[in-house]
Amino acid sequence: MRRLLTALCLAAMALPAVAQTPRNTAVLMREIDADRYDPARSTARSAGEVIYMLSDTLVSMDWDMRTIRPGLAERWDISPDGRTYTFHLRSDVTFCDGRAMTADDVVYTINRWIAPATRSPVAWRAGRVKEIRATGPHTVEYELQEPFSELLSQLTLFFASIVDRATVERLGDNFGVQGFNGTGPYCWVSWTPRQDVVLQRHPTYRWGPPIYENRGPAQIERIIWRVIPEATARLAALQTGAADATQYVPTVALDQLRRVPSVTVTTQPNYLWDYYMAFKVDKPFVSDPAARRAMAMAINKPAMVRAVWSGHATAAVNIVNPVALDYDAASDALVPGFDPPAAMRLLDEAGWRASTDGVRAKDGVRASFLVYGISTLENQRQSEIMQQALRRVGVEMQIQLFDATVAWGRMATQEFGAVFLSYPYFSAGDALNLYFQSTQRPSPNRMNWNSPETDAWLATSRSATDPAVRAAALANVQRQLAEANVWITTAREQLFVGASSRVTGARAHGLYGVGLYKGLDLRVVR
Amino acid sequence: MTAAWVARPTVLRLVLRDVAAAASAGFLALVVLAALLAPWLAPFDPYETDLMAVMQPPGGQDYPLGTDGQGRDMLSRLLFGLRVTLAMGLTALVFGGVIGVTVGFIAAYWRRVDGLLMRLMDVLLSFPAILFGLALAATFGPGLVAVVIALSVATVPLMARIARSTALVVMAQDYIEAARATGMGDWRLIRRHLAPNCVAPLMVFATLRLGQVILLGSALSFLGLGAQAPTAELGAMAAQGRTFLFFAPHISVIPSFAIFAIVLACNLLGDALRDALDPKLRP
Repeated sequence: MRRLLTALCLAAMALPAVAQTPRNTAVLMREIDADRYDPARSTARSAGEVIYMLSDTLVSMDWDMRTIRPGLAERWDISPDGRTYTFHLRSDVTFCDGRAMTADDVVYTINRWIAPATRSPVAWRAGRVKEIRATGPHTVEYELQEPFSELLSQLTLFFASIVDRATVERLGDNFGVQGFNGTGPYCWVSWTPRQDVVLQRHPTYRWGPPIYENRGPAQIERIIWRVIPEATARLAALQTGAADATQYVPTVALDQLRRVPSVTVTTQPNYLWDYYMAFKVDKPFVSDPAARRAMAMAINKPAMVRAVWSGHATAAVNIVNPVALDYDAASDALVPGFDPPAAMRLLDEAGWRASTDGVRAKDGVRASFLVYGISTLENQRQSEIMQQALRRVGVEMQIQLFDATVAWGRMATQEFGAVFLSYPYFSAGDALNLYFQSTQRPSPNRMNWNSPETDAWLATSRSATDPAVRAAALANVQRQLAEANVWITTAREQLFVGASSRVTGARAHGLYGVGLYKGLDLRVVR
Repeated sequence: MTAAWVARPTVLRLVLRDVAAAASAGFLALVVLAALLAPWLAPFDPYETDLMAVMQPPGGQDYPLGTDGQGRDMLSRLLFGLRVTLAMGLTALVFGGVIGVTVGFIAAYWRRVDGLLMRLMDVLLSFPAILFGLALAATFGPGLVAVVIALSVATVPLMARIARSTALVVMAQDYIEAARATGMGDWRLIRRHLAPNCVAPLMVFATLRLGQVILLGSALSFLGLGAQAPTAELGAMAAQGRTFLFFAPHISVIPSFAIFAIVLACNLLGDALRDALDPKLRP
């Protein structure tokens, strides 16, 4: 009966979307739209998933999330001092308008990305650039003021996508809004905000990352990136064939989805996307390290993650994922385990005494804090579970979740005591440099973490040319943060890409959280 | 003693003679009782999570109505949700009703201000309650207070119009003229003769309106403008369960059905009251 009901619901929900998908066109679904599609000015995953198809980077990332592969650069050399990278570009690359790409385009793009006028929030990912210069039509020298051990990894991210200068200058602020001209496997056709982005195959494309079987142009004529905010509607569209693929599959539906013959689900074991609650370490109550440690002990992370992600994520221990480069296993041992009685003893010893309303207090300060976050399903569920867990040890957690359109602004303020966030990264250095440098305050260092020791270790890690030196410096940071309990890292999400039987080749990649990356192996089979 | 009070026993008998209305009255009485006694009736703390029993279906030994996505007992949340939903609806109805009836009586009694007051009510009527709720939530942040204000404001013009038209009919009666002739003051006349004779239609409308207010309030909470997590409120509970509609439909269906049943009961009771109070429809 329930199956019949489910089938009827699915059919009813998908009816409006069943408008026939044109031949050799694939409809890819996502949860939210981006504010723009300009690589230098967008940081959202939802921007990245379109920009990766519209453009290319100098180097690309393999499925293992560690190995750097050629991209627009077919090879590269690094000077012995680690300060100069010489990229040898392919000579057969053209933009969507047919113009050949040259070294000047690379110089222009990187300079635009790091220019103060661009105000890119992720310009730091380009390293401390001294100069970018074209030394030939297809040769670029990328000179740094100091070595940056993760430069090549950073250059695989969509922020470093090469764009056409003429189009950028013609469209100005509307670049990535009204048009785009890149070298990617697909070309810009149209964007209807909060509805869809339509892309057309780049017919001469032959320079895709060597991680794909398809070495020629994309096999699908047209891609429609459609925004479908409701998880149940996405699920219905996938099962009825009204849409072809999505990475935004609610975990609660995965087991059922895997049993549907017309749907395939792929995953990516090297995916790095973590959820955490970060404390502002200079706010009342959460500034007390003992209180933070006690809160970490009050939360049963494995049970919570099993409940919220239906068993399709793993409970996190410390900040860095064990599959990430430069993960320090010893720091995990410093993070306290689930032990509510010990948490209460610790709060008692720290002077946080129980009061009549059930919330502890110390010197007139209540054991209470306000947490901000984006109103996602996972945040709603885990925040309520954590709220209840903390209430049991006498701590009051007030929750305020905002729509994504206003959340980022609110989370850049000093109004809250903690924040719920999730993020992609590819190594310990990437994660720790992003969040814990004192210069990154107040955002993305929303914790206001200001430690000269951390800054020094991170600086060492960035400029280290010896991987062992870098790993040791990053291990120090991981241990320091584990002891300080600055974050309660809750879950390590897994990536699942669901695809209808109408398409093949929808393999989950996951760079910067983007499921389909270039999508070069995607093919419509019926 | 006024005519309305004399008719009361007959009205009650007439309402209870209608099986659907009697059942509705009984159901609403049970709902109110369950809401009032929620702390004693609920088997669990409505906010207590059991992470080992997430999305349990109804019919289990420990959780008769199942659990939600956070492993909270649905029965306990339903009982506490009734409290919040009913309190929200009744508060809005009382605030909106008192203000609306006052405005309506003033407009009917002092005709000089009638035009001005009614145009003001027209302006209020032109604002959809959901839009007003959105504006309030955007200004002051989402929450139950914003919803109660939005619902109250939406109720004021409706109550004012009903009160005015009823009062105009009563004002034309001979006993009002007689009372005036005896030198009775305005406020005393309103209190002793006008208000009591307007009670019946206002009660009918209030009963019907209660259902609408509950439905609207739940809709605002469903949209995230009303009760905020983890507050148990029927609209918010229905919203929380919609992602699991295919896997654990009870999370949305149970609170939605509760809203449906309460609104239906209010409507049936309101209809029966209207029929009972309309002399033309009496047997």
